[in-house]
Amino acid sequence: MTQNELKISKGIDFTIIILYLILVCIGITCIFSVEHKPDDDILGNILKFNTNYAKQILFTFIGLLVGTFILLTDSKFFSAMANLFYAFGIMLMLATFVIGKNVNGSSSWIPLGFMNLQPAELCKIFVALAIAKYLSRSDTDFSKPRSQLIAAAICLTPAILSILQKETGLALVYFSFIFVLFREGLPSVYLISAAFLGVLGVASLVVDTNVLTIALLVIAFVAFMLLKRKIRRNRFILLFLLGGLAFSVGTQRLAVPYVLNNVFKCYQSTRILAMVGKEYDCSLNKESKLAEADENKKAPRKTDDYNVRQSKMAIGSGGFWGKGFLKGTVTQGSFVPEQHTDFIFTALGESFGFWGSVILAGLYLTLLIVIINVAERQKSAFSRIYAYGVASVIFFHVSINMLMTMGLAPVIGIPLPLMSYGGSSLLTFTIMLFILVRLDADRQLNVR
Amino acid sequence: MENRKDILLRTYLVFIGIGIFCLFVLGKAIIIQTKEGKYWKAMSDSAHLRYEIIESERGTIYSEDGQMLSTSVPEFDIYVDFMAEGLRDKNGALFKKYIDSLAIGLSDLFNDKSAADYRKELLNNYKSKKRYALLKRKISYVQHEDLKKLPLVKMGKNKSGFISVVRMKRLYPFESMAKRTIGLARDSNKVGLERQYDGSLSGTTGSRLVRYIAGGAGVPVEGTEMDPSDGSDLMTTLDVGIQEAAQNALNKMMVGNEAERGTCIVMEVKTGKVKAIANLGKISEGVYAENFNYAIQLSEPGSTFKLVTILSVLEDKLATLNTPVNLEGGRWNIAGQTVFDSEIHGLHQSNLKVAFERSSNVGMAKLVYNYYYNQPSRFIKHIQKLHLDSLTGIDIPGEGKPRIYKPGTNHWSKTTLPWMSFGYNLTVTPMHTAMLYNAVANNGVMVRPYLVNAIVKDGEVLKKFDPVVLDSNITSKQTIADLKECLEGVVLNGTAKSLASKDYSFAAKTGTALVADKGITYKDKVYQSSFAGYFPANDPQYTIVVVIRNKKHAAKFYGGSVAGPVFRDVADQIYATHIRKQLQKNFDGEDSVKYVASATVNTLAGVFSNLKYGNSDSNASVLADVQISKGKNPELHKRSRSKGLMPSLIGLGLKDAIAICEENQLKVTFSGAGKVREQSVDAGINLKTINNIHLVLR
Repeated sequence: MTQNELKISKGIDFTIIILYLILVCIGITCIFSVEHKPDDDILGNILKFNTNYAKQILFTFIGLLVGTFILLTDSKFFSAMANLFYAFGIMLMLATFVIGKNVNGSSSWIPLGFMNLQPAELCKIFVALAIAKYLSRSDTDFSKPRSQLIAAAICLTPAILSILQKETGLALVYFSFIFVLFREGLPSVYLISAAFLGVLGVASLVVDTNVLTIALLVIAFVAFMLLKRKIRRNRFILLFLLGGLAFSVGTQRLAVPYVLNNVFKCYQSTRILAMVGKEYDCSLNKESKLAEADENKKAPRKTDDYNVRQSKMAIGSGGFWGKGFLKGTVTQGSFVPEQHTDFIFTALGESFGFWGSVILAGLYLTLLIVIINVAERQKSAFSRIYAYGVASVIFFHVSINMLMTMGLAPVIGIPLPLMSYGGSSLLTFTIMLFILVRLDADRQLNVR
Repeated sequence: MENRKDILLRTYLVFIGIGIFCLFVLGKAIIIQTKEGKYWKAMSDSAHLRYEIIESERGTIYSEDGQMLSTSVPEFDIYVDFMAEGLRDKNGALFKKYIDSLAIGLSDLFNDKSAADYRKELLNNYKSKKRYALLKRKISYVQHEDLKKLPLVKMGKNKSGFISVVRMKRLYPFESMAKRTIGLARDSNKVGLERQYDGSLSGTTGSRLVRYIAGGAGVPVEGTEMDPSDGSDLMTTLDVGIQEAAQNALNKMMVGNEAERGTCIVMEVKTGKVKAIANLGKISEGVYAENFNYAIQLSEPGSTFKLVTILSVLEDKLATLNTPVNLEGGRWNIAGQTVFDSEIHGLHQSNLKVAFERSSNVGMAKLVYNYYYNQPSRFIKHIQKLHLDSLTGIDIPGEGKPRIYKPGTNHWSKTTLPWMSFGYNLTVTPMHTAMLYNAVANNGVMVRPYLVNAIVKDGEVLKKFDPVVLDSNITSKQTIADLKECLEGVVLNGTAKSLASKDYSFAAKTGTALVADKGITYKDKVYQSSFAGYFPANDPQYTIVVVIRNKKHAAKFYGGSVAGPVFRDVADQIYATHIRKQLQKNFDGEDSVKYVASATVNTLAGVFSNLKYGNSDSNASVLADVQISKGKNPELHKRSRSKGLMPSLIGLGLKDAIAICEENQLKVTFSGAGKVREQSVDAGINLKTINNIHLVLR
């Protein structure tokens, strides 16, 4: 009887599916705790689908259905269709500019009647597939700049479209594919440069401008003294050193303030500076100035760290052991804005405290480690790269989301994978993981 | 292999990267949940949802003549949210721009701090980022309206951060007037009408859900509001003019006599409407306030209760006004105790009417002793029929229930009944006394005293209160007529003779009782002076009861000299403002101005001769009143006078009064100006027994 069944379940790694189910269930429980009021009719609400947790349960079933279909699909289908999917995704994203619906200030949604679809979410899958497809091609030499550029383009096109749709948070997710590229041999220079830029950027925000300039000069001087002999032999090193110094000081003194004042909007700059505990003077912001000049326009939205403050209050008041399920006063009083979506972690943090948070982080960590293990055991490059893609996206989401709710990362509005309320997000991660499980089931196969 | 090593290294790096992020998450979680845990916990405790009551607007209490006696006005507390959007935007440009003009505006408006001080306060709070800084408490509606016009504030809550918290405050436009009767609408332990009619006045409160954000500021949750239903208004029976008269007269007497406490009740005869209740208690030396509703407090009534005694014997037809009573010279032993009259007058043979008029305790004791000693219940039944053993039912809370001893109980002794006859061994409230005297004035119809005419909401009468007749015939017509004759006799011949008015007649009874109360024994010689009566005697309109408790060993303590003048004052004013006006309306011819002047015949003769009115009598020491009416020649009425007895000096100018006194070798002291209104030695006293006299002029 079970020839078919055997075939389906053959090679499937159930660890991922079990972790998936645990996380989704925790998510539904948390959404429930956010929404539930003591005298609510739980069963009635689930049957009528008029609460978020009921809808999330529905999305879970849809996700499992889609997942089953994916498991029944041939692995080769995904590699074969990768480019087509990618094109479809980009089309969808472009379509939002025409038929998009405005939800919470971002016009990145396509209404489907029973739910709103966010193509930028779905596109993560397509980018993961497409980048896997491109890099696994036998004629792609990733050490060549041209290939590197194409790979970057594949990752960043949806990011640019996302920014145009005012979904900066989702756009940032696409930058997480740099881990994939790194694993696949992107020269370390890029990553080191990126890291240096990152450190420099943060330092310019945190440290006083003049102090940092002096520090940079000192570093350059120390390097000069250390490399004195080499410089005598090779003058280019000196040039490189001077160039680097000029660039660093320029970045620190000019570029960072410029970006804050002219590229970012007032609220974004405020959030970034709030993260390092500083205040942003919005009167320096170009957009604000424009808005002010144009009297008919309203001044930019209120900007403060209210969300984070409330979120920290929920997590912090949980203490070590938590307040207990449905006993979180901050959660029950709906004090955390967007708690059922981006700030779902706070519900868990308040109810179950530090140990609950650690267990949750542990579950995500286990999932990531399992995925990377899965990646490394793949025979085909396509599957491996795809797996890395999935790991990168989940890692980025989890770490940024958790750090965001605790005030260590700016509030950029990305959901916690599998837990946050939202059909698009849940379906996206479901599809991603089930494709991975499907590909892994055929790990002995060389999927191209 | 180099390649493989590189890939392995990269994989490890990825793991390390993930590990580092995990450490970040854990580290931050530890910091927030354990190290900063207490802080966030405190914050979360201050953040909560709560159903809050929206106060309904309390109804207004009106006097019968439509004046507001107690009403609710809004009062505002002003807070500033220094984290308000408008104040923080553009680095506080708005705040910086307006802080100076705002500080000046605030200083001008409230006048309590200099502009510089306000500027400093605003700046400090701005720097410390206070979310709910108190700026000013309890500002009035007008001030609030002006505040809203100040720079920055007029831009609204979001821009300025100015938050007004409104509260309804109870306002008593007439301040202390009838305060204890109107009551106090404080949150706990309301008193007076405010308590009695609290249900109608307060309306029903509404509610709304308020979300408290960390730090204590509350934001109402939309859609949860239940509107309050405002309270109804009370239309009381009180009359501001009469109340004022009662209060002023009482206050004047109490200050003058350094009395402890006092009350004055004015009741409309026909209806039982209480037109005024003044209550004064001594707060400190010379300072009196409406601190307690003495009108409904129990005390031994003293001589005003003698009305019940004669009512009983007359109604039971055991005696008539002329029934002889032996007053035993003012002292009578009974059951081992002695009944004293207020003075040892030496009078023996008398009759019921005179005994009453002179307020003889012996006379009263003898009456009940003679007729009821063997059947005390019969006497008690009269008290019960007169509703003096139960609450009057007046519509203010806290009325004392009279204590009337019954024969056969532990409290009953051989002396109980005789002492009851002159108002001891039982307690009633001044309101009971008023109700009783009012019933006599109302020809035997006893009505319940009441304070509220109607409950009105938005001009619509919800409930109307009509006079309640407790007993349409407390006695036979004959008895009522006799009682009236006796009460009028008190003013004409008895203890209230000196208070008689030329303008109108009144009927009353004086009362002087030793007080035994908390911390006071009879030995302390604290007297309660009372005066109960009605006027005009021929057509009673108002009943007035005055009860004053004097200080220990007060020099002046007789009902006739302490409580009586208050009665007169109030009656004079009511007569002038209410009754005479009414009378004048009834005459539709020329007005009949009547003027009475009193002086010695000598003085008058001088005036008369100047005016060329012939008059021959020139006896310097003969007193006379001259009555001048429009359209008539002045009429001279000589006062009759017995040699060797003190004459009445009432109505005389100081010069004539002193002349008369010196002629009789009396040392004169006086106070006040105008005409003699009081003399410390009553008319009719043997001049040989006195050396000094004090005159009070007004």
